[in-house]
Amino acid sequence: MTKKYETEAPGYTMTTVMEEAARCLLCHDAPCSKACPADTDPARFIRSVRFNNVKGAAETIRENNALGAICARVCPTEKYCELACSRTGIDCPIDIGGIQRYVTDFEQAAKMDILKQGKSNGHHIAIVGSGPAGLQVATTMLTKGYAVDIYEKNEKAGGYLTYGIPEYRLPNDIVEYEIKRIVNLGANVHYNTTVGEDIMMADLKANNDAVVVAVGASESKVLPMFADNANVETAVGFLARVKEAKGNITDLPENAVVIGGGDVAMDVATTLRRLDVKNVTDMAYEEFDEFRASKKELKGTREAGVTIVDGYVPTAVNGNEVTFKHRHIDSEMTIKSNKIILAIGQRVNAANLGITINKNEEVPYAGYGTADAKVFVTGDIAQGDKTVVWAVRKGKEVAEQIDKMVMGETPAADLVGGNE
Amino acid sequence: MIKKDLSVDFLGVHFENPFLLSSSPVDNCYEMCAKAFDEGWAGVAFKTIGPKHFKVDEVSPRFDELTKEGTPFVGFKNMEQIAEHSLEENLHDLKKLKENYPTKIIIASIMGTNEQDWEELAQLVTEAKADMIEMNLSCPQMTSHDMGSDVGTNPELVKKYCAAVRRGTDLPILAKMTPNITDMVPAAKASMDGGANGIATINTVKSIANLDIDRKTALPTVDGKGSISGFSGKAVKPIALRFIQQLREAAGMEQLPISGIGGIETWQDAAEFLLLGATTLQVTTSVMQYGYRIVEDMKNGLMHYMEEQGIDHLSEIIGAANKSIVPVDSLNRDYKVYPKIDWDKCIGCGRCYISCFDGAHQAIQWNEEARRPTVDIDKCVGCHLCNLVCPVGAISTGEVVMKPGREGNPEDIKIESPRLTHF
Repeated sequence: MTKKYETEAPGYTMTTVMEEAARCLLCHDAPCSKACPADTDPARFIRSVRFNNVKGAAETIRENNALGAICARVCPTEKYCELACSRTGIDCPIDIGGIQRYVTDFEQAAKMDILKQGKSNGHHIAIVGSGPAGLQVATTMLTKGYAVDIYEKNEKAGGYLTYGIPEYRLPNDIVEYEIKRIVNLGANVHYNTTVGEDIMMADLKANNDAVVVAVGASESKVLPMFADNANVETAVGFLARVKEAKGNITDLPENAVVIGGGDVAMDVATTLRRLDVKNVTDMAYEEFDEFRASKKELKGTREAGVTIVDGYVPTAVNGNEVTFKHRHIDSEMTIKSNKIILAIGQRVNAANLGITINKNEEVPYAGYGTADAKVFVTGDIAQGDKTVVWAVRKGKEVAEQIDKMVMGETPAADLVGGNE
Repeated sequence: MIKKDLSVDFLGVHFENPFLLSSSPVDNCYEMCAKAFDEGWAGVAFKTIGPKHFKVDEVSPRFDELTKEGTPFVGFKNMEQIAEHSLEENLHDLKKLKENYPTKIIIASIMGTNEQDWEELAQLVTEAKADMIEMNLSCPQMTSHDMGSDVGTNPELVKKYCAAVRRGTDLPILAKMTPNITDMVPAAKASMDGGANGIATINTVKSIANLDIDRKTALPTVDGKGSISGFSGKAVKPIALRFIQQLREAAGMEQLPISGIGGIETWQDAAEFLLLGATTLQVTTSVMQYGYRIVEDMKNGLMHYMEEQGIDHLSEIIGAANKSIVPVDSLNRDYKVYPKIDWDKCIGCGRCYISCFDGAHQAIQWNEEARRPTVDIDKCVGCHLCNLVCPVGAISTGEVVMKPGREGNPEDIKIESPRLTHF
């Protein structure tokens, strides 16, 4: 029953990756390499693959991105490198994510250790949260020679990578291996440790040159009309439960309703189908021409057999009956289901961290600095996009800013945050 | 990023890495060589400089390519002759390159029509501060029969011209050999007897790559006619490797210094030439297709190979394969090795079944329902055609068995290294 949930789509082989790399036009001043928020250089690593230098390709990816194997799988490349790809002018873009996956899988199979811990510079930083942004901060700082402590409230590191993205899209083995690299690089991870409860911000500030808050938006939002309803589950809770059980979930009914139109909603709906729930209906606030989920996710969800209805908002709930109304046309529908999963966005829990979070679930100022010179924010709570690739970018940027501060240089003005 | 010392010493000259541009359209002027140096090439064999009285007059167009399926540039045919710039311009460029890039190696490629030409050119490029001279005895498309491969196939002329160049210079001399010859050894020996210090090979192979089947002539067509001319690129690599091995096998030439040329485009190609005894490596065709930047992956990939091999200097592997390449009658014919099929990897395309039936020994059985192949070991001769045609790497070398009545322990047989199996 869980095989469909656990099995990732097959990747390239040595022969097929070369065929795909050979489609690449090897552009001069390649547009793809200017389109990645995390500064990945696909033109460089695809050229290495084309010239049989997969190890060199792995170096290009890994030296730039602590989560190269994860980004290869979950990045909405259609919005970045593949959107910029010149090959689109002929037929369709190069499958850059797929090639990156081949390279990082090779890196793992060849047991390459590309990143090296920098010579100790005597400085320490603490990171609150071990999601993608926190992991990237840790990696950059370790390569610069900082001692790094990460505080993670859960028993495993990785945040949404570990507890959210379904197995068929991001196998846990991959996430664990990426985290193992960072631990091997010297990161000291404190599991089951909630900052603000088990250890206080004041202690972290006293013992470190800087503290980076990278807690992310880890809790699902719930509309008041769905509160205290036994038929309702949150997306975050559901995905974590399925991932933990490796798909061995037995309490699912014949039909389920998912509410939401982002990638999380697609993950939930597809997971339900892969767990053999017969009828899955996804009700999305947005219409298709304004859809938030990536094209790849939307396509996968449709192929999984999910019915997606766009442009509807829930207006009333009565037990297992939810009534939706279209946002623009006079249309109403009611669905009855014993499983209603809410994927309508996430909230930040920054209790006792001394950080202000506004209605948009991010800090009310641009940049990474806070009113406290020693405290920084990054990841989803910093302003900007909320994808893994952006978490990597924000992680690298805040790391550079802290390094400059500790080393006594002034950071570039556009990276400094305003006061609260 | 991995860092390894790729430097080599060749004919008393130190090269920061073995990668050089070969004498050709890719290093035709100062700006081209300067850009190549900036991108990481260790040196150039500057496009062949001829005597003042020889006027270069080129055709248009002048190139053609051999393709296979979707792959361009499997081989490349060209009709260009030697440098089209004036002798003065070329000498000026050589001098300026050495001044501005003192650590890079400038090899002056020269070609004359008689002894006097050769000697004079040698003097001139020596005065221009070249580090080394390469004698082009091998271009197959010269408009003069006193030049190019017509000379290189004649050992007497080769010896005479090498002696002339030796009179004109005290620099190390490379004699560039033509593959348009059955046995390269006599010409190579003659060049060494004449005063050359090493061999550069191969130059291009005489060819007709394609025909214009409407106009009924060879491509490229020049006002309705075509010609035989030199072929290069990946397709000639096997020919180059064979000549280099045969040179190093010849009595007294086991340590012959060689600059390897012929279809090099990846670090793996480079490693192959080094293993057969080349110390420096010259490249043109892949640069014409992709640009100087390809040196980045050749250098980086070669460093990873050194790491895998546990070596610190390329000198440790130069010629390392010469002794294990033996005449076909010396190979062990006492065993066969069966293919092993990994059904988890198999996608059921049936290519192995077709190739085995139509091109080998009808030893793969096809289960039509399951769409999976199995090996009939009674019929299988262990040729491994199936392994080569499998698109997903599902077929590897499996069990080794001794042929009936033959001595030996299957466990002692060395089969192909796991490197060659697919990832």
